[in-house]
Amino acid sequence: MTLTALDWIIIALYLTGCLAAGLWMRRFVRGVEDFAIAGREMDVNLGIASLAATELGLVTIMYTAQLGYEKGFAGAMIGVIMCAAIWLVGRTGFVIGPLRTAGVMTIPQLFERRFGSRARWLAGLFVVLGGLLNMGIFLRLGGEFLVYATGIPPGWLEWVMTALLGLVLLYTALGGMLSVLVTDFLQFIVMGIGIVVTSVLVILHIGWGNLIDGLSLAWSTTEAAAAAGTAATVTTEAAAGLKAHPYNPFHASSFGWGYLLWQFAFQIAVATTWQTQISRVLAARDADTAKRMYRRTSFYFVGRFLLPALWGAAAFVWFAQNGGLPADLTSITAMPHYLSIVLPMGVMGVVVAAMLAAEMSTDSGYMLTWATVIYNDLVHPCLKKPLSPKGQLLLTRGLVLAIAVFLLFYGLWYELPGNAWDYLAVTGNIYLASVFTLLVAGLYWPRANATGAGAALILGAVGPIAFLVLGKSYNIAPEVAGASSFGLAALGMIVGSLVTPPPPPSAVARQTAETSTQPAAA
Amino acid sequence: MNTAFIVFWAVLLFGSIAWYGFLVFYIGWKAGREIRELTRNLSKNS
Repeated sequence: MTLTALDWIIIALYLTGCLAAGLWMRRFVRGVEDFAIAGREMDVNLGIASLAATELGLVTIMYTAQLGYEKGFAGAMIGVIMCAAIWLVGRTGFVIGPLRTAGVMTIPQLFERRFGSRARWLAGLFVVLGGLLNMGIFLRLGGEFLVYATGIPPGWLEWVMTALLGLVLLYTALGGMLSVLVTDFLQFIVMGIGIVVTSVLVILHIGWGNLIDGLSLAWSTTEAAAAAGTAATVTTEAAAGLKAHPYNPFHASSFGWGYLLWQFAFQIAVATTWQTQISRVLAARDADTAKRMYRRTSFYFVGRFLLPALWGAAAFVWFAQNGGLPADLTSITAMPHYLSIVLPMGVMGVVVAAMLAAEMSTDSGYMLTWATVIYNDLVHPCLKKPLSPKGQLLLTRGLVLAIAVFLLFYGLWYELPGNAWDYLAVTGNIYLASVFTLLVAGLYWPRANATGAGAALILGAVGPIAFLVLGKSYNIAPEVAGASSFGLAALGMIVGSLVTPPPPPSAVARQTAETSTQPAAA
Repeated sequence: MNTAFIVFWAVLLFGSIAWYGFLVFYIGWKAGREIRELTRNLSKNS
């Protein structure tokens, strides 16, 4: 065990504070609107803190560090693309402006107005399917960080995961978005301090010059071995592992152009469609607040990839210079093990608290979001008689609990088909490509109709599901699965809409009116 | 070519550390006030 009594005290204080703040917000919940979107009272800075905390989970830190370990700084290029995409959407208000103005609680709700109830239900199904599968590995990766960073016995992993999820479940199920916003705020602060302190200590420990030299040496050794057609000149096991150019993401050994182009389309779709991000847009006071929140958060996403990538790259160089990566470690567990060596007493407690903060804010935000979509878009449209406000709240809380149970069991047995980032990107793609197509066509193309929407939803899910089920057996590249889903969804929408009659002018006119004027209730 | 990439990543990296450090204090202060206002509004409406 690498934690001291001081570290444990810091962690206990943080967890108690978080739980107390989360439970305190419960008193303000009066109905589903307060529970799901905080009564639309969220202002821009709280939105930034919540968006940043939710979108930077422990799982993010694990997979971005893995990218840093395997691809050096070039592994952080996805963060640069993400920053550009979010800033662009915040600058133009593309999709998010009309979406917020429409005054809906979820994206599928907007589809009902434009494409009918079937499109809403089908979109809700894909949103939930993609979202839950995506979230399925969060606990496992988060647990692995804690095991390797704190030195707790690996056998405790399941119990640590269960206890952590239980804590998050308690305040999320009771206080909903209001609790999530306040705990996200606390987690944003703790996480920010932890990330800055860790990054500075890592640079001081490894040395900036040594880090650059180490990565360059590992890459030139690999290049020399490749030129000689043998691995004989490779000096260490870890050096042989750096198969990608550590600085140039466009290099064929790194991501390459094809992958990065897919990522640009993917990140634009994430910024406009990913329900956990969009729930902050919908909780914002107005469209302008949502756009400002996006612009001001955008650069945060560079660090979201680059700082953990620094830790991963430093772990790579350190292990390369100290006899190679031990047999019981992998590219994903190397970083937490390295941090347990680097961080001094007390700081380790702050960093573990920060990582717990990252895990908790993401879990709470995601559980709440998917529960809201299940209630709002899958259950509610099927009810003949609407539930009472109390019944609605009870059901949504029950759904949060059900998602937590799913997470525990799925997280324990699913084996990743490739690296963690590819899994997350492809599962997210199950709905991102099709829902993005529906949103853009629904908002900006008057000819789009329900048949096109149905075709786009189904065709958009084909590529990612094929990757998840057959990816290992048939060696399907993630960018092929991901990019094909965008192409197929767009094709489905265009062909489906053009070969069938246009939508009734009343549906288009109603939506145009709703998305171009501010509703009185919002 | 490598040098240009190294400079690019160094600028982004140290910029990110500075940005995160600034945000913790700036957003921490501003968002704290917004939480106070949010709870006040919710109390008024209930």
